Amino acid sequence: MSGAVALPAPRGAAGLRRAAPVLMGLGRLVLGLGIAAAVWEGAVLGFGIRPEYLPRLSAILSTIAATPEAYAAGFLRTALETLIGFAAGVAVGVLNGVLFLRAPVLRDMLFPVFVVSQTIPVIAFGALVVLWFGNTLLAKAVIAFYLTFFPVTVNTLVGLQSVDPRQMALLRSFGATGRQVLLRLLLPSALPQIFVALRLGASLSLVGAIVGEWFGDTTGLGVILLQAMYTEQVTVMWAAILCAAVLGTGFYALVALAERYLVFWGAEA
Amino acid sequence: MPEPMDATSPLLELRGIDKTFGAVQAVRGLSLSVPAGEFVTVVGPSGCGKSTLFNMVAGLDEPDTGGAMRFKGRGCHARELLGRVSFMPQRDLLLPWRNVIDNAILANEIEGADRKTARAKALRMLPEFGLTGFEAQYPHQLSGGMRQRVALMRTFLFERELMLLDEPFGALDALTRSIMQRWLLDVWERHRRTVLFITHDVDEAIFLGDRVLVMTARPGAVKLALPVNLPRPRPAELVTSPEFIAIKREILAAIEEESMKSFQSSGMAA
Ligand SMILES: Nc1ncnc2c1ncn2[C@@H]1O[C@H](COP(=O)(O)OP(=O)(O)O)[C@@H](O)[C@H]1O
Ligand SMILES: [Mg+2]
Repeated sequence: MSGAVALPAPRGAAGLRRAAPVLMGLGRLVLGLGIAAAVWEGAVLGFGIRPEYLPRLSAILSTIAATPEAYAAGFLRTALETLIGFAAGVAVGVLNGVLFLRAPVLRDMLFPVFVVSQTIPVIAFGALVVLWFGNTLLAKAVIAFYLTFFPVTVNTLVGLQSVDPRQMALLRSFGATGRQVLLRLLLPSALPQIFVALRLGASLSLVGAIVGEWFGDTTGLGVILLQAMYTEQVTVMWAAILCAAVLGTGFYALVALAERYLVFWGAEA
Repeated sequence: MPEPMDATSPLLELRGIDKTFGAVQAVRGLSLSVPAGEFVTVVGPSGCGKSTLFNMVAGLDEPDTGGAMRFKGRGCHARELLGRVSFMPQRDLLLPWRNVIDNAILANEIEGADRKTARAKALRMLPEFGLTGFEAQYPHQLSGGMRQRVALMRTFLFERELMLLDEPFGALDALTRSIMQRWLLDVWERHRRTVLFITHDVDEAIFLGDRVLVMTARPGAVKLALPVNLPRPRPAELVTSPEFIAIKREILAAIEEESMKSFQSSGMAA
């Protein structure tokens, strides 16, 4: 018996057929980005906007090009914090969901605690985490985790609870064990709901990582952002924002892509 | 795994079975006996407890204490029948993320069969179920009749002596339904299982069954058990023969009586 969720993905011809529209979409995306860039550049030039308010895109890009290593290092560091926090949040969230489904007593005990924990402003929580973990990569990942695990917990539980009881009965009539029901029915059924939380978590975990960096560190997009703010280097600030946008959008797109691939059957009545 | 059983005892035997859901008594004093190899059809007014009967025989619901359940000559609890009876519920309940083949082998996978072997076997069975070439399709790409055949295939592949089919053709149009009935008899002649088959269509019950059970209005019990002594294989024209009509008349009279009862009791309750 395989331990993994039994989810055969469509392959071969179906994959090829799906590739064409994806490429078209990609083409349109590039076109859209090009237009946005042109409008940005043109507006700053045309309306004579001062660079303190909004620098030209080309100025921002050349700032990045001047010291690419600094931005690359910051990007990678923040990406790593985001990913670790996100992965841990997803793992814990899914486990929580399963646990709460199986032990409603535990749900009634822990859920209110989770809700209270989520009402703590992330800034206050960030200060605490840095106190506990110091200025480490782990501290940032913990903040990203803190923002991710709760939505994943809630959505996993909702998804697991919304499974068709008749399908449960069918699997039980085949003599399925609780584990088999979980892996072959419950988790796949909950997948669409879980992915809603994953998309949310992808954005939130990046916020967590950047906020975490504000409490002090030497590398990271948040660090670049903060330092640029103190030294009033507007273009550098914008460069950091641009990098964060690329990271956030890329991460979100990856999650959305995984969703399209895994949740291919759509909502069924 | 054929277990030793003496030839005289029926495959399934129920004596005085009751089932209560809160204030509702769904089944009362239900008794029936099904010998191995028989095709038994069950008709009765809706809500009379037919699905409840199946849920108990499939092991999903425990009957109230007092009655007796015997399977292969041995007394047993309902839950001991989990995994030992091949159950097809009223809806096809295909898993949307599994293609036709993987839906068909779901039960085999759960009993621990090797996935590759099970798939190969299912592939060989596709033509018999009219699904050739559809092995890689997903449920949302199939018509209602095809989905039903996939569910039936899943039920047949889960090789158990007793098969429970709960209104398998209930959602199909009349023409598809009559094709499916003849097809099912054909498949059954070759695979020879013991079948309990619920339907609300009297023609279907007579056309398919060796014996037709008519249930009383709720609480459900067996009102009438009528053998259908019509030769097999049965041609489609059988439904217009005098013997068929005679059986049908008797069954309709019994159902009518029960429907009136449930109509009157619900009328009085309102
Ligand atoms: N799990 C349940 N909980 C409460 N009532 C139930 C349950 N299952 C069936 N019933 C009731 O038992 C009666 C018989 O239902 P059922 O066996 O589904 O009838 P049918 O003959 O139409 O298949 C109905 O009145 C139904 O409402
Ligand atoms: Mg029913």
